[in-house]
Amino acid sequence: MPLQTTTDAAELPSHDQVSDPGIRHFATKRYRDSLTKEDCLEMFRQLYLARYFDVRLIKEKKRGRLRGTLYSSHNQEAILVGSLFGLRSTDWISPIHRDMPAFFLKDAKFQWAELDRMGLSIQQVCSQVWGRVDSPGRARDNWSHIGSKEKRIIHSTSMLAGTIPVAAGVVYADRMNGGDAVVVTYNGEGSTAQGVFHEAVNFAAVHKLPVVTIIENNQWAYGTPVRLGCATPDVADRAKGFGIPGYIADGQDVFDVYDKVMSAVEFARSGQGPSIVECKTFRAYGHGDHDDDRANKYRDPAEIEHGRLRDPIAVCRQSLLDLGYISAEEAEKFIAEGKNAAEATNEDFPPEVVDYLNSGIEFALASPQPEAEEGGMWVFKESK
Amino acid sequence: MAAIASAPVQTKKNYLTALKEAISEEMAGNGDMVCLGEDIGQLGGAFGVTEGLQDSFGTQRVIDMPIAEAAIIGASVGLALNGKTVMAEMQFIDFITCGFDQIVNMMATYHYRTAGEVNLPVVVRGPAGAYGGGALYHSQMNEAWFCNSPGLRVVCPSTPYDAKGLLKAALRDGNPCIFFEIKELYRRSEIAEILPEDDYIVPLGKAAVRREGTDVTLVSYGQNVYHCLQAATELEKLGVSAEVIDIRSLVPLDEETIFASLAKTNRIIVVNEAPMTCGFAGEIVSRVTTKAFDLLDAPPVRITRLDTPVPWVKPLELFVLPSVERIVQSALQTVRY
Repeated sequence: MPLQTTTDAAELPSHDQVSDPGIRHFATKRYRDSLTKEDCLEMFRQLYLARYFDVRLIKEKKRGRLRGTLYSSHNQEAILVGSLFGLRSTDWISPIHRDMPAFFLKDAKFQWAELDRMGLSIQQVCSQVWGRVDSPGRARDNWSHIGSKEKRIIHSTSMLAGTIPVAAGVVYADRMNGGDAVVVTYNGEGSTAQGVFHEAVNFAAVHKLPVVTIIENNQWAYGTPVRLGCATPDVADRAKGFGIPGYIADGQDVFDVYDKVMSAVEFARSGQGPSIVECKTFRAYGHGDHDDDRANKYRDPAEIEHGRLRDPIAVCRQSLLDLGYISAEEAEKFIAEGKNAAEATNEDFPPEVVDYLNSGIEFALASPQPEAEEGGMWVFKESK
Repeated sequence: MAAIASAPVQTKKNYLTALKEAISEEMAGNGDMVCLGEDIGQLGGAFGVTEGLQDSFGTQRVIDMPIAEAAIIGASVGLALNGKTVMAEMQFIDFITCGFDQIVNMMATYHYRTAGEVNLPVVVRGPAGAYGGGALYHSQMNEAWFCNSPGLRVVCPSTPYDAKGLLKAALRDGNPCIFFEIKELYRRSEIAEILPEDDYIVPLGKAAVRREGTDVTLVSYGQNVYHCLQAATELEKLGVSAEVIDIRSLVPLDEETIFASLAKTNRIIVVNEAPMTCGFAGEIVSRVTTKAFDLLDAPPVRITRLDTPVPWVKPLELFVLPSVERIVQSALQTVRY
């Protein structure tokens, strides 16, 4: 039985179609329709996993066990889960600050704890969050500024859109080597105002490089609303200027994100070039946790309430119910949606989700901080 | 007689030809090397450094890029991250500012922030320097910005032999490098020289003593080396023996050669055509005063461009730049101190 869309079409503009139908092609829903029941249930679990990671870290920070800023992905988890689920293990990604769960969700399908998979382990990610030596970057830069050449994850800086030209270079090299890898880059709508965004997407378009640029349009770039950062009705409209497809996905619907991203990914893999996939969503909290209080002032309470109305966990659950993949009884077992960190408890999440993260946190807390002298190391590769 | 007639005639090669040879030889020897830049393909680059390169190695390995320096540098980083060695050309080194973030934040830090997992063999090279009427945006020496960004090699050859040997060394070093070519030297016939037929490199971090002397040390790089050599000739007529050191690479810097010279002369003048404030001349003087203070018999001197942009018309341009005359006068004052 194919998935039915649960989106209220009046809520968001122009889903299910590229921003300019004249550019290339409509999304067909064929990727969405090809998902099995097991796939759908796994994606549902991954939404809990991403949410629990967020909720738990906020709790840990409040308990004083973490330093550094948290950039919450609350309410945006469907974008990460939906975009990563269909990638091949040979594909590359470049997440940014709000995409922390992407590091352990990459290549995680049905095998979260597998260490050989092409994603970071929860132990590595937690070691990074806690600033421990077992972080893949040995805790030399903070939060999401990690990656792995081996696992095909590009390391970001704080300069937004800065990884897109790097991603383009990576797949250019892959093509030279006869590979068919695609790179999926993540950015916010605010990043699309950066010059390097345009330079990089243009370069990718000219060479038809397999670069899928996901725009998580959460309506707010720190304290600036999207209307002051982008003059087109949809951010995906920027694709027109590069002569590439621009898709718009319902960022609250994990299956719609999957469908649009897979359309873009397979378009790229087949040699037809890059795309932009705008995922419409809403930032639940402040830019970072330092901004939570202010964000409640510079944003209208009605806007926040409206933006958080369609929690991706609830949207997914309703789809699964409609499909008959879960019973009403099962649907009521874990109610995590709509709950802030202070309200959510472990009982709101499937036990395997809680156990998985616990294993990462326990590992990280047992991992030492790096030796101080490491601060002076690895400026240059030593000469042969 | 026949054997003599067929012996290859060794011709002198200029600085630009030396660079061309370095790039094409490295491309031939390393199938994983890629070149990218503006107009480097069919045109062969604004100055012709990559002339013929695309015909030899194809459009996939010699990429004509859009006018987008951040994309050029960023793509170079990505290519290197995925196993390639990269030569990226800036059409003029002045234009490197448009790719600045990608250089100092993305590229320079990559090895550091990955705790050594990733190293990036990327050489960003481009024509630099004044004295040619290039005006504000085709005359700069902005090397200090990059010396102040840990993780970058910074190199500036002054001879054809060094241009080829240093570029090859930089391409094999495995670290990102900003390579300053002196465009006024590209086709200067007086400095053309016979280059070795066999493969060679000039190691990074080794200075060259261009002229030996005993009274004062003139330290420089790029085209100011020739101003120093001319000044040394003038000074000799005035009874002053000047030693001329060409540092060739700024990062890493060969302090030992400078200090060894200072041990002989006890006097030092550093000459470069970048602005004085926070420039590399100041760095050299600072190292001398902090590490070799006891060797000094006179205050170290910096001769640099005035703290101005490089103006266009000749009288203005020469007014702000170091000159042979300024070096001679300073040297005379220093030895009389």
